[in-house]
Amino acid sequence: MFHRPQASLYVNDADLLAACRRRDPAALEELYLAHNGRLKSIAFHILRNRQDAEDAVQETFVKLYRGIENFQGASHVGTWLCRIVINTAYDLARKRGREPDAPEALDRAAPADRLSLRLALEGALRRVNPRHRMVFLLFEVEGLRHSEIAAILEIPEGTSKAWLFEAKKELKQMLMETRR
Amino acid sequence: MILECKDLDRALRTPELMPDMRAHAERCPACREQLHLWNEISRIAPELHEEWESPRLWTGVRAAMAAEPPPRRLPFWHFGLAAAALAALALLMIQPWTPRGPASQELLTESALAGVERAEAAYAQSIDKLAAVATRSLNESPAPLAAVYREKLQVLDSAIAELKADTAKNQYNTYLRTELASLYRQKQDTLREWLKNAN
Repeated sequence: MFHRPQASLYVNDADLLAACRRRDPAALEELYLAHNGRLKSIAFHILRNRQDAEDAVQETFVKLYRGIENFQGASHVGTWLCRIVINTAYDLARKRGREPDAPEALDRAAPADRLSLRLALEGALRRVNPRHRMVFLLFEVEGLRHSEIAAILEIPEGTSKAWLFEAKKELKQMLMETRR
Repeated sequence: MILECKDLDRALRTPELMPDMRAHAERCPACREQLHLWNEISRIAPELHEEWESPRLWTGVRAAMAAEPPPRRLPFWHFGLAAAALAALALLMIQPWTPRGPASQELLTESALAGVERAEAAYAQSIDKLAAVATRSLNESPAPLAAVYREKLQVLDSAIAELKADTAKNQYNTYLRTELASLYRQKQDTLREWLKNAN
């Protein structure tokens, strides 16, 4: 779900967007602060590298800056940013011409069995059908609603639910195989 | 209701069946393990969210925004010219001096649709030919770049298939047809890029 910071300088989303259209630096920073965490995580799961993920997020905000006047506000600005970052990350992966790096910085303090399940899940997730994986990431990892995912990926809400089920089924199967 | 192992997928899709499935799982270790894993996937998934400090990222974003040229504003007379052109176009399209009945209008729409469908089919066919050339080298290449291209093409193909199905249900929807053409264009660009990189 997309939330605005509690200490916002703007009355509502429309007010914030209007300020962004005027290229108000404070409004742009507020938008950045509200969304950069999730955008970095989404980009990371595509690029598997933090520096590349940050590059994708930077490019995303530049694209927002260029196109904010054309954004009609029909969907939430967070939905729009997610759509831009996904496309930008795929383009960046293609331009860099290399396979995504190995995952970084795992939480070594987690209990061994939980850590091994998490590692297995991360590994399995990379082998899941890309469309199903993206829905899984947005729903289960990033906590978005099916209606929001449908808007980001431009698919019907029912398709989002079906792809999530398929992703979990594929993951369950792979995790069962690693346990054998 | 008494459920069996073969009902597991159906139960996972239908929350109302879950109590009966759990009752079965108490007696069946295989289903118990699968149910446990199903729940664990959702429980562990939020931990895959990646969070890290990026103290310099906002500075970079701000600098990149500042380096952007200011948005271009057209002089007011451009709007006048555009309005005149639109008015002329509207006049040409309306053609008040040409009598036109509802039957001929319908025929025109049908023939226009047939023309669009022919053009679409020819365009799709030319991209298929390009894909046939590119796919061979794409599938044979061990390069990491090939994997990225394969993945993007897979996403594009599935989006094209879905949009084609939607278009078939709503033949006169020009928006859907424009979207479909845009996806074909993206596929064409991706294939061309790959062939350029591969050679």
